[in-house]
Amino acid sequence: MGIINRARIYSPWLYHMHCGGCNGCDIETLAALAPRFDAERFGIQLVASPRHADILVTTGCVPKQFIPMVKRVYEQVPDPKVVVAVGGCACGGSLFYDEDPENYAILGSADLLIPVDVYVPGCAPKPEQIINGIVQGILKLAEKGAKKDAKQ
Amino acid sequence: MDPLFTIISIILILPISLVLGVLYSFLIRKLNARFQWRVGPIIRMYSDLSPVIGSTRIWQPLYDILKLMGKDTVIPGSAHKKLFVYSPYMSLIFSILAIFFIPFPGMPLLSEIPYSLIIASYLIIASIMFTILGPVASGSPWGAIGARREAELFLVAELGFVVSLFSVAIAKNSLSIWTLASNMESLPAILLTLVAGTTMFVAMLGKLHIKPFDMPEAECEIVAGPYTEYSGKLLGTYFLSKVFILYAMVSLFIAIFLPPFSSGFIWLPLYAVAAVLLIFLLAVVQVLNPRYLIRKALLWYLKIVVPLAILSLIVAFAFVLGWMVV
Amino acid sequence: MSAHIKILRQVLSKYSSPMTLNYPSGVNPDKKYSQIPEGLRGFIERDKEKCIGCRACYMVCSGRATKYFDVGDKRTIQVFHFRCTYCAHCEEGCPEEAIKMTKNFELTVTDRNDPKAYVNTELDMLTCKNCGKVFTPVKLEKRAFERLSDKINPRVKDVVIADFKKGEGYCMDCRRSRGVMMDAHTKKHVWLEVV
Repeated sequence: MGIINRARIYSPWLYHMHCGGCNGCDIETLAALAPRFDAERFGIQLVASPRHADILVTTGCVPKQFIPMVKRVYEQVPDPKVVVAVGGCACGGSLFYDEDPENYAILGSADLLIPVDVYVPGCAPKPEQIINGIVQGILKLAEKGAKKDAKQ
Repeated sequence: MDPLFTIISIILILPISLVLGVLYSFLIRKLNARFQWRVGPIIRMYSDLSPVIGSTRIWQPLYDILKLMGKDTVIPGSAHKKLFVYSPYMSLIFSILAIFFIPFPGMPLLSEIPYSLIIASYLIIASIMFTILGPVASGSPWGAIGARREAELFLVAELGFVVSLFSVAIAKNSLSIWTLASNMESLPAILLTLVAGTTMFVAMLGKLHIKPFDMPEAECEIVAGPYTEYSGKLLGTYFLSKVFILYAMVSLFIAIFLPPFSSGFIWLPLYAVAAVLLIFLLAVVQVLNPRYLIRKALLWYLKIVVPLAILSLIVAFAFVLGWMVV
Repeated sequence: MSAHIKILRQVLSKYSSPMTLNYPSGVNPDKKYSQIPEGLRGFIERDKEKCIGCRACYMVCSGRATKYFDVGDKRTIQVFHFRCTYCAHCEEGCPEEAIKMTKNFELTVTDRNDPKAYVNTELDMLTCKNCGKVFTPVKLEKRAFERLSDKINPRVKDVVIADFKKGEGYCMDCRRSRGVMMDAHTKKHVWLEVV
C-alpha cells in the first residue's frame, strides 16, 4: 500500500449533509463526533466545506425540492469519496416514503439519487453504530483510492 | 561559518522544520482534545484495531496533508485561475524561505547576514499575504469574507509583531537574528523579554488563528473561510505552509526572546522545553477563549497591544540609553 | 479573568482521565459501549418455530418495513431493517410472541441486498383440495383451530368440531359453497327440504 493510500485511511474528513427527516440522526451523528466517542482519535474531522471532505454522511430521506442540492454537494466532493447513509430514512426511506401511493414531497432514500457505499440502519442509530459505519467507510475509501492510483 | 556548512544545514532544516511543525500542530490538537476531556489523535492505537487502521496518529497533520495531495483538485469556474492556483505555492515558498533566516540550535543558517530580522519578518508577512490573495481570487463570497477578516486581523496583529521584534533589535543594537539569538541574557534584558515577548505572543495568536482570533476560519459562520473553494493539492499546500509558519513563528519567538536557546547545539534540550511550553500556552489560550467578533478583536488589539508595544519600545530605549550611559 | 481561571480549573480536573470510550476496540470491555439500557430496542428477531404467518405484524407495522410475499406454496414474511423504526408494535401485536426485539444494534452493510439487513421467515401453505388454490399457512390453520376450540359452547362443541374436520383442506370459497353440508349450518334443514 502506498503512503498516500495509507494517509487516506489515517485522515478521513466528514461532511455532514442533512437532507430531510426528523433531525434525530443529526443529533446522534454529532454525538458520535463529541468528546464521549471522540472520532478525532482516528483522525476523523468534521469539515465545513464539501470540497475538503472524503466521506459524505447523509441523514434523512430526500425531499423532491432537495434533489439538485444533494447532487451538487455529491459532485463537489473530490475523488476518492465515500457516501455513508445514516439512519433508516437515508437507507430505505422509512416512515416518509412509500412506492404506492407515492408521496408527493418525498423522493425516498439517498441511494435513489447518489451511489451509497455504506448503510447504517437504525432509527436513530446509536453513535457507536455510526462510528462503526464510518470505519467501514474508511476501508472502502482505501479500496477506491487504490483503484484511482492504479488508473493514473 | 563556512558556506559548505550553511548549504548542508539549509538542506537539513527542511525535514527538521517539517517534522517539528507537524509535531507542534499535533501537540496543539492533542492538548486541545485533552483539555476538552477527550483523547484526541491517539498516540497508541488499540491493539485489536492497529492492523486495520494504523498504529499511531502522532503524524496526523502530515497524514492530512499527504491525503489531500492524493485527491482530485476542483477549480471553480468563477475563479481567477492563475492567482487561485499559484498563491498556495507562493505561500509555501515564502514560508520555506522564511525558515532559512531563523536559526535552529547549532545551525545559524542564513540568520548571520546583517538584515536577516527584516527579511524574515517580511517573508512571513508575504506568506500570509498569499493566504489572503488566493481566497480573494476564488470568486466565492465565503472566501472573500474570510480573506477580508484575515486581512483586518493581519493588519492589527502585524503591529505588535513588528514593534516587539524591533524593540529587541533597538535594545541590542543589531538587525541580525543570529546576533540577537546568541547574546547572553542580561538582567535588564529579561524585563524587555517579558514586555516585548507578551506583545509577540499576542501577535502570534492573531497570525496562527488561535481561538479568540480564529474568525477567518469560523466554521459555523462562513463555511471554511478563506479555504472554502480550495481542495486537493492546493489545500494541502496551504496546510503545509501553515505547518511551516507555525514552526517559523515558534522558532522566531525562541530566537529573539529567549536568547541563547537557539544558538549553540548544547541548548537543544532547553530549546525543546521552551517550544513545548510555548505550544502549551497557545493551547491553553485556545481552549479558554471563545471567538471574538472581528470588531471586538480589533478593539482588543488596539486597547491591549498598542500600550504593550509602546511600553516595550520605552523599555528598549531606556535599555539603550542606560547602556550608553554605562 | 476569574472566569478563565474557573474554566482552567475545570479543564485540568479531568486532564489525565478523559471521558472518551474506546468504542470500536474491545480491548477493555467495560469501556466499549456507552450504555445499553434495559429496554433498548435493537434489531428484530423472529422465532421460526413460533411464527404462524398470520400477518398481524404486517398490519401494525408503522414504517412498512414488514412485508409478505406469497410465491408458489410458500409464504415469506420479511422485515427490512433499513425501513424499520424500531417501534416494537409488531412485538406487541404478535399473537404467538414470535417476534423479539434483541439488544443488538450494530449493523452496517455495504450493499442494499445484503441478507444481513433482512429477516425472512418461510412458511408452508395449504393447497385447496377442490380448486387447487394456495390459501393459508399450515400452521395458521392448525393454531386457529386450537385457539377456537377452547371457546366453543360445550353444547355444540362436538358438532362444530366435526364440521371443521369436514371442511379441512378447502379454501374459503370452496368451504363457503359447501357450507350447507355442515351439521351446524342454520339453514341445513331448509336445504334438505328443497332437495
